[in-house]
Amino acid sequence: MSQLAAARPAVDTGRASPRRRSRRRRWPLAPYLMILPFFLSFVAFGAYPLLFALRLSFTNWRGSGELRWIGLGNYTYLLGSSEFWASLANSGVMWLLIVPVQTIGAVAIAGALSRAGLRGRGFFRTTLIIPFVTPLIAMAQVWILLFDADFGAVNAALEAVGLPSVGWLTTTAWAKPTIALLVLWKTTGFAIVIMLAAIQGIPDEVYEAAAIDGAGSWHKFWSITVPLMRRAIAFYVVIATLGISQMFAEPYVMTKGGPYNSTVTSGLFLYNHITTSDLGLGAANSFLLVILVFLLSLVSVRLLRSKED
Amino acid sequence: MSAKTTTVPERLRTILVYAGMGLLLAAFLYPLWWMVSSSFKPGSEIVTSPLSFDPRKITFDNYRAMFASVPIWTGFLNTAIILVLKGGITLVFCPLAGFAFAKYRFPGKNFLFGFILLTLMLPTLVLVIPLLLEMSVLGWVNTYQGLVLPGAIDAFSIFWMRQVIAGIPDELLEAGRLDGCSALGLYRRIVLPVIRPGLAALAVLTFLNVYNDFLWPVVVVNDESKFTLQVVLSNLSQAIASAQVDLNPASIWGQLLAATTVASIPVVILFVLLQRHFVRGILAGSTK
Repeated sequence: MSQLAAARPAVDTGRASPRRRSRRRRWPLAPYLMILPFFLSFVAFGAYPLLFALRLSFTNWRGSGELRWIGLGNYTYLLGSSEFWASLANSGVMWLLIVPVQTIGAVAIAGALSRAGLRGRGFFRTTLIIPFVTPLIAMAQVWILLFDADFGAVNAALEAVGLPSVGWLTTTAWAKPTIALLVLWKTTGFAIVIMLAAIQGIPDEVYEAAAIDGAGSWHKFWSITVPLMRRAIAFYVVIATLGISQMFAEPYVMTKGGPYNSTVTSGLFLYNHITTSDLGLGAANSFLLVILVFLLSLVSVRLLRSKED
Repeated sequence: MSAKTTTVPERLRTILVYAGMGLLLAAFLYPLWWMVSSSFKPGSEIVTSPLSFDPRKITFDNYRAMFASVPIWTGFLNTAIILVLKGGITLVFCPLAGFAFAKYRFPGKNFLFGFILLTLMLPTLVLVIPLLLEMSVLGWVNTYQGLVLPGAIDAFSIFWMRQVIAGIPDELLEAGRLDGCSALGLYRRIVLPVIRPGLAALAVLTFLNVYNDFLWPVVVVNDESKFTLQVVLSNLSQAIASAQVDLNPASIWGQLLAATTVASIPVVILFVLLQRHFVRGILAGSTK
């Protein structure tokens, strides 16, 4: 039982050596058994398929028949394919349409909600996060109807005030912003909750010092609160970026990537290899995305680190 | 901060905050209101006057038509089966692993925990094609085990349960140890009762994840009898796309709105009832 680190503070100096006493040998087994299921599951459904896919990415396999080794063919094909780069560019535009607006908006709204003496804060918070818990697929369907070019409520409202109607999901100019609007609607509440938590984590003394200086509430917010929220902001930008790099369901349901491939995100592009049975190519595409996501994470972690001090 | 220093512009600002919040809430709730209210409108009116709602004309025709033609109960049933199986696996194994990482000391612990955190970075999307191939080799395409097992013991839940269990005072465990509890006994008699709120939050989060999951179910299942609720819904939009040519869009729109209402509103109600756990769950995952 002495493997319970907590139960033996004396062992807490440095890394424990488990073989200090023979009694101790009886116990190291317990924690390993407790974590074993995860690692079994990871080997079966993570490591194994990844290694298999790595091999596959050097072949031209199409789901059946023989594996034919084609070396780096898939990778060079993708890196030279304008469609691959276009899918990355589409995801990049989605990022620009979503992340800056959402992050700044969430900070501002959380700031407004944190005003001293505001009534109904809990009610606002609960209501704002409701879109986040609705099923994405269901709401994507509702979006299709709301933004329908012929019968949709949005165009009906525009016409009612004398504005021309818009082909929201049927024109290359508007399809991306319309999808981005769904993402903003659905996930901003989550961003607000994170920012609220960050604001609540700031100790009152910080503000008390400022109150003595006679700082106004607006000034206090921008010069004290926001800088202290940097970690939460960086954290959210990282999550949102990773999420957008994998965006798939929204364009899959709403546009199937159209019109004219303008909404083929990197996630949908990857999925399309399954539909066309280009599995070798799809595997190669997966690994290019792993590398990309890994680089994005590294950059983000750097950003997080540098802002911590 | 105090009432004495409240100036007029300060009060004006408070009013502006309320006004802004009101507008924001309206924008956030309107799509849901539109979905629910339109689902009770006569089909033809959904398309001819999408902005109006007349409570005197409420009809259940859309629901009747939808239940008759959309396999939504199959979707609900499959989603429920996956919820029970996957939720059960998560709630049994993830807290146990979290316990090991939070309260035990063993060689390789830091490395193994770091490894688990690293797998968090591995996006589901890139695993999809490799996993699909593995499923077809195993013959698990269109099966519950194919839907449930991959990712059932997930890194995030372990990470999060470790945070929760680390908060248990060591003295409690020491007391149990002196009573001669085995490792599992400690877990069952001391850890489990204390972390019940954390487990509830984990259950809520897992429920939402499984209920809303779409990418994996749409890839690993192509047989209608195994469609999850979200896959059933996503196929409806294709029905619309083809129906606009040869069928009356009014009826299809009505059915679609009825289906999305049936799929969304239970989750929203559940969330409002359990929101305290849920918000706590989000926060625990985000601030640590």
